[in-house]
Amino acid sequence: MTVELEELKAMWLDLRAHVDQLAGERQQYYDFFEQASEAYVVTDEYGTIADANGAAVDILQRRKRYLRGKPLAALVALERRAEFRQRLGALRGREPAAERPWRTLFVAPHLRIDVKLAARLIERPGGVGGICWRLEALS
Amino acid sequence: MNSRPAPEWLTTTVSAVRELMIKRLEAESLDAESKREMEMALEELDVMWEELQGQAALLMRENERYAEFFQYAPDAYVITDAGGNIREANEAALELLKATRDSVVGRPLSEYIAADDRVAFLTRSVGLMPGGTVKPFAWRAQLQPREGAALAAEFSVRAIPLKKSGVGGLCWLVRPAL
Repeated sequence: MTVELEELKAMWLDLRAHVDQLAGERQQYYDFFEQASEAYVVTDEYGTIADANGAAVDILQRRKRYLRGKPLAALVALERRAEFRQRLGALRGREPAAERPWRTLFVAPHLRIDVKLAARLIERPGGVGGICWRLEALS
Repeated sequence: MNSRPAPEWLTTTVSAVRELMIKRLEAESLDAESKREMEMALEELDVMWEELQGQAALLMRENERYAEFFQYAPDAYVITDAGGNIREANEAALELLKATRDSVVGRPLSEYIAADDRVAFLTRSVGLMPGGTVKPFAWRAQLQPREGAALAAEFSVRAIPLKKSGVGGLCWLVRPAL
């Protein structure tokens, strides 16, 4: 029985090492996203927010927990939403120049923010995996 | 035990060893108390194993998610090691450098700096200390893509832990200057 126990212990250590390696790999990309000086928001292809980094939270002045699951369009000023949705549709439809930056207005509590918005589709083998947006506050 | 994320060989081996232990447990003439203790130890092992596998699954999902954010960021990013060699370049960077991933990974980033600016670029790069001591800063230089004319670009750099080794690397944001 001791031999089997030793073997199990070895297996256990291997799994532990595997988990440690995964944690190390995750840290690089996590740091890239969270510590970026640029503000990034990631949505699904329909514009529902999946994640936002620290710089984006600063611009939008909303907690991450609030942002997740909300349509990004809901943070765009009412009079600019139609344009936003049209741009979103163009992105999804892979229209030429759809990824070119444009200016829009976001609304934060008691504040309107002039923002330059750029986007890129997240490609997955089965199709579009989402959209990565960069927000640059101009005001 | 389930077999979610761990490498398949690990799960298979552990299951085989575990089954062997159970067979031995059944065959050996242990007293009831010892048998119960062994069974409980095995149960405990099962729980811990599942927990660790759960952790691995979560890390893998997060890793894939954040890796996607890097690959498809709207900005061009390059990750280099302490020697200035490119470890990773995202899609936007490959478009900017007009190069394939295979042709850039392992090459010095300075190869993509126009000859006139290369010495200055290297001088600045040498002063960077990977491992968290780099204060983010930016400067301009002429970027020389694999094909075509050089273009003015703004380089911003910050420290980042490299995957696998976890040692300090550098994350470069490269933007065509307006």
